[in-house]
Amino acid sequence: MSGQYHRPHRWAWFLERPGYMRFMVRELTSFFVAGYLVVFLITLARLGGGEAAFGEWVQTLGSTGWMVAHIVALVAAVWHAVTWFAAVPQAMPIFLGEDRLPAPIAAIVMGYGPWLTVTAVIVWWVLR
Amino acid sequence: MPAQDTMTLEIFRYHPETDSEPRFQSYEVPYDEDWVVLDAINWIKDHVDGSVTHRWSCRMGVCGSCGMMVNGEPKLTCAAFLKDYFPGSVKVEPLVNFAVERDLVVSLDGFMEKLQAVKPYIIRDDVNDTSGGEYMQTPAQLARYKQYSMCINCMLCYAACPVAGHEDEFLGPAALALGHRYNKDSRDQGQSERLDVMLMGEAIWGCTFVGECTVVCPKHVDPAGAIQQAKASAAQEYFKRFVAPKGAGV
Amino acid sequence: MKRSSEAFWWALFSAGGVMAALFVPAFVVVTGFLLPSGDAAVVAERSAQFAAAVGWWPVKLALLGVLSLSLFHCGHRIRHTLMDLGMRGFSGLLKLPCYGGALAASVWLGWVLWGI
Repeated sequence: MSGQYHRPHRWAWFLERPGYMRFMVRELTSFFVAGYLVVFLITLARLGGGEAAFGEWVQTLGSTGWMVAHIVALVAAVWHAVTWFAAVPQAMPIFLGEDRLPAPIAAIVMGYGPWLTVTAVIVWWVLR
Repeated sequence: MPAQDTMTLEIFRYHPETDSEPRFQSYEVPYDEDWVVLDAINWIKDHVDGSVTHRWSCRMGVCGSCGMMVNGEPKLTCAAFLKDYFPGSVKVEPLVNFAVERDLVVSLDGFMEKLQAVKPYIIRDDVNDTSGGEYMQTPAQLARYKQYSMCINCMLCYAACPVAGHEDEFLGPAALALGHRYNKDSRDQGQSERLDVMLMGEAIWGCTFVGECTVVCPKHVDPAGAIQQAKASAAQEYFKRFVAPKGAGV
Repeated sequence: MKRSSEAFWWALFSAGGVMAALFVPAFVVVTGFLLPSGDAAVVAERSAQFAAAVGWWPVKLALLGVLSLSLFHCGHRIRHTLMDLGMRGFSGLLKLPCYGGALAASVWLGWVLWGI
């Protein structure tokens, strides 16, 4: 119908609400996680290249620049995990009869519990 | 007692016969801490300017017709108290992400189409057979969808959804949550038909789980959660049809 | 409007999201802090430990699954972020770098793991 008014397109919509900004931060973690996955792939490739190549790569990883990069990656990966576990109870409701498992408990059962276990096993495996 | 306090309401005005662009008009209204924004708009229409156009009906958060942007936030104006904004001013605009018909009234056409697209009613194969009596449902079965049946179609969720503003194919929070409500109803047999619709284009996949629909919902429907659950059902259906295409007699 | 393949990519995104959330922080701790810290003897011992773990075939299979799903998760999320930021008109074109990149990296990973 003519005569209707259409608001102009808002390209900077993500600045309009705090919730949009939180969304954008969550989404942007995927760029950092993807970047880190490449680093991990390179680590595995160097491992395949033999002991000398791997030793050299591990030494490189010990440099300040790579430390800082890993700190950034850790923050992004942890935030990715935390936001993912916050979403899981909403996306996968668990019912016990008439009652829905409360979100914090569902997040522990389906998120934080397995997360802690996996992390502990991996760290133990390398340190033992 | 001093003279009665007043408050400024800035109202979005747009009359298609005379205006090519919208403008804002300021009105002074008496301040009453029991008043909601809707009371103030009604007072303006009754006492100051009868040309101000807005939708409202029940005044108690049930009809879903008085949704507007109040200081940039999608709100039911019958539930937005002046005292929460006093002594500041209140800016009232029509819901964003909709075409504006006149002043605070938005066009419902697109929303109605999307609502109908998800077939928001119980679909049965045995619709004409009443010999079995009522379709019984246990409280546990009711609990599976009850939350999603509380929607009043106020469209605040569309105003809070950036995807609804940018993607025409996207069915939007309320419509998808309502479709999911019927998919989760133990009496319903129409899930496959609804998923047909949801599997099209960006109908459901446009959603990136921003989650603000759930934040603004006055009825705690949680459309964001409903949509993710519906995506999981749609994905299952997608893979099921790979194995056994629909219409292959399975 | 046609039936979209988005369901397929979303399923990979979804599974990959779980994998990335559960595993990636621990991987960062390993390559960033556990492997390269300490004196030469410690580094050598942990490196050997890491190599032995990755050399075991069940771990290789798990790594292939976890990492490729995580890559598709990131690809999907990056594609949709770019769409939400205004590249909606290129939704089809974006599949090439996002999913193609994840696929290429996964194939490369498979080849690397095969050789370890």
